[in-house]
Amino acid sequence: MSVFYFVAFLSIFFALMTIFTKNAVHSVLYLVITFFTFTIHYILLNAQFLAVVNFIVYMGAIMVLFLFVLMLLNLNKDTEPLKSNLIKIIGVIAGLCLVVTIAGSLKLLETSNPVVLKDPGIGLVSNLGKVLFSEFLLPFEISSILLLTAMVGAVLLAKNETKKI
Amino acid sequence: MSAIITLSLLAVLLLYLGLFKAKKALLPVSLLGLLAAIVLYSIQWDTDAEPLYSGMVLFDHFAVAFSILSLFITGLVFLLSRDYFDSISEHVAEYYALIIFSLTGALLVVSFHNLAMLFIGIEIMSVALYILVGIRKRDFSSNEAALKYFLMGAFSTGFLLFGITLIYGATGSFDLTEIKNYLIANPHSISPLFYSGILLLIIGLSFKVGAAPFHFWTPDVYEGAPILITTFMSTVVKTAAFAGFLRLFLTCFVPLQDFWAPVLLVITVLTLFIGNISALAQQSFKRMLAYSSISHAGYMLFGILSIGAASAGAIFVYSAAYSIASVVAFAVLILVKRSRGSEHFEAFNGLAAKNPYLAFTLSVAMLSLAGIPLTAGFVGKFMMFSGVLANYHIVLLLLAVLNAAMGIYYYFRVIVAMYFRPADREEVTVNANYKAVLFIGALLTIAIGIFPSLLAGWL
Amino acid sequence: MTQAEAVNTSANYLPILFQLIVAGGFGVGTIIITHLIGPKVKTENKLGSFESGIEVIGNARQPFSIKYFMVAILFVLFDIEVIFMYPWAVNFRQFGLSGLLEMFIFMALLLLGFIYVIKKRALEWD
Repeated sequence: MSVFYFVAFLSIFFALMTIFTKNAVHSVLYLVITFFTFTIHYILLNAQFLAVVNFIVYMGAIMVLFLFVLMLLNLNKDTEPLKSNLIKIIGVIAGLCLVVTIAGSLKLLETSNPVVLKDPGIGLVSNLGKVLFSEFLLPFEISSILLLTAMVGAVLLAKNETKKI
Repeated sequence: MSAIITLSLLAVLLLYLGLFKAKKALLPVSLLGLLAAIVLYSIQWDTDAEPLYSGMVLFDHFAVAFSILSLFITGLVFLLSRDYFDSISEHVAEYYALIIFSLTGALLVVSFHNLAMLFIGIEIMSVALYILVGIRKRDFSSNEAALKYFLMGAFSTGFLLFGITLIYGATGSFDLTEIKNYLIANPHSISPLFYSGILLLIIGLSFKVGAAPFHFWTPDVYEGAPILITTFMSTVVKTAAFAGFLRLFLTCFVPLQDFWAPVLLVITVLTLFIGNISALAQQSFKRMLAYSSISHAGYMLFGILSIGAASAGAIFVYSAAYSIASVVAFAVLILVKRSRGSEHFEAFNGLAAKNPYLAFTLSVAMLSLAGIPLTAGFVGKFMMFSGVLANYHIVLLLLAVLNAAMGIYYYFRVIVAMYFRPADREEVTVNANYKAVLFIGALLTIAIGIFPSLLAGWL
Repeated sequence: MTQAEAVNTSANYLPILFQLIVAGGFGVGTIIITHLIGPKVKTENKLGSFESGIEVIGNARQPFSIKYFMVAILFVLFDIEVIFMYPWAVNFRQFGLSGLLEMFIFMALLLLGFIYVIKKRALEWD
């Protein structure tokens, strides 16, 4: 349990650092560390497949994409417009409302009954595969359409038009 | 399900047609594909609806009716697309394919029976749209619209997912039947997680349908996107999002109506007033339509607010009327913009003298959007309002009527401009496809207005 | 459930953690030790960036070609595809022929997408 609290503290700490740091590249790197702490959470929950996916896809691939996006931008100039204080205050109020709502629903701190982990091996790769290819087969197949859409979109947006318009 | 598979394969086929330079074949092939999908759905109408694929999708009358409506409206949008995409870019096939992909997502959203399918449907629908909104790569407002839509969409999907997670945490299932059974089995000991889940789902779905106070992206995105994509977004996507919203609440959350109805009531009233009051102040016809689409979202929320056996029919008729009228309005806007290069109300001055046909069909569409009797819009509004009257206080109805009156004012501005403001202009050339779409739109609007049972009997 | 699966918890992966620590520790340790025992020269030439002897011109931070980004984003998409094969491969024998077909449908759609990308010359570096 103490390991959990330590890792949870790290998650929140690095998530906050992601938001508060001024340098965009540092922000992305903090986000990588945040994701790494999530990987540790998954391992603590014995959700091994999710841990691997989180490590390879999120930390490895998607965060590299984030860095690429930053390199596409021109970060030399300080182009960030200053936000007005009013918007900041409204943002804080809205965020706190969300926190209160979530905290309110968790206030009893009861372990939710239907999903109490009866089988500690539920997060193992083979068990997950069994569910994915039986119960969740349709969403799995449909997700190929989602990937295809993203592929077409990437080609469409990044490809140079030969005809100038 | 066969229709959805057909459509996915159709989209891939279109991509490959584009690779092999068969540009002429794109439009006929896509229309044929849509027709095939409509036929496949119609066959399913009389069969017994059982949840398929381990309870992932359910093609009941609700799903089939909304799917056919989406397919039909997409067909109209495709008819308008002749010569339209050519002027934007050379990758025409990709646009057809992406619209079909988006439509596939919409069809999943209207027929989901598992929250995982709702999520994946909404994602497919939105990812294709993020790209379509930004297809005019060198146009600054199109870029802005795409980026805004993407960030807002991704953010709202986060809320949606969090809501789904909390509901899973409370019930232990994504399946709509299981969630409903959980509510029926524990009427007094519902987990607090469930309530937060509903709130977050309302927020996420309100983003998607463009309801206030989550509407901020709507005007900019509708204005920045190419007109044809705006047409698709404000009709098919909006209809599908509402159908998904209603399906979720109608199947699962009716027992908790006392909890979420006040929240939705506030959202509805805000949406109506913000949409209508902002629409009053617009000078651009396109932006006015964007704000009016927000206000129409408000009217459609009445259907969810007064949830019951009649609400599916009410939302179906309303969204059909609104979609058909919007397609006509945007079609005329495309033609006017092509000849005058402007989207302002002044661009419509004197249209009636030179193009009486255009002016007449646009007037019918405007009357329908305003909800004047003998048009489809009136039937839709009537069904909505009678649902409200049955369930709620008369004050709410008065607010709605007040808003309808505001709507009449700004819709009539166009009609006044067309008929009573003379201006020098050339005749707008209208090709056969546009003529056909305008004819179908006006005819259906009046037909549904006079014989409401045409549509009202479906659900 | 077999005996091998029953004891499959995260504690079994401790050796891998040790391996990670040793691998990472060796890399970090080497860098630190070279800093400690190496000679320290701090002249302007030594600290400036090296551009084959030519004077440094301009700023290193320039927006770079979108082609890299396209390759990266396509990599992510296929990365996700491959990740899905992992739980499938673990249960491969159990799923039998139907599992094979299910995976092939998924792969076929993405393969069509891949052929499309190649045909579209999206990966060519002209």
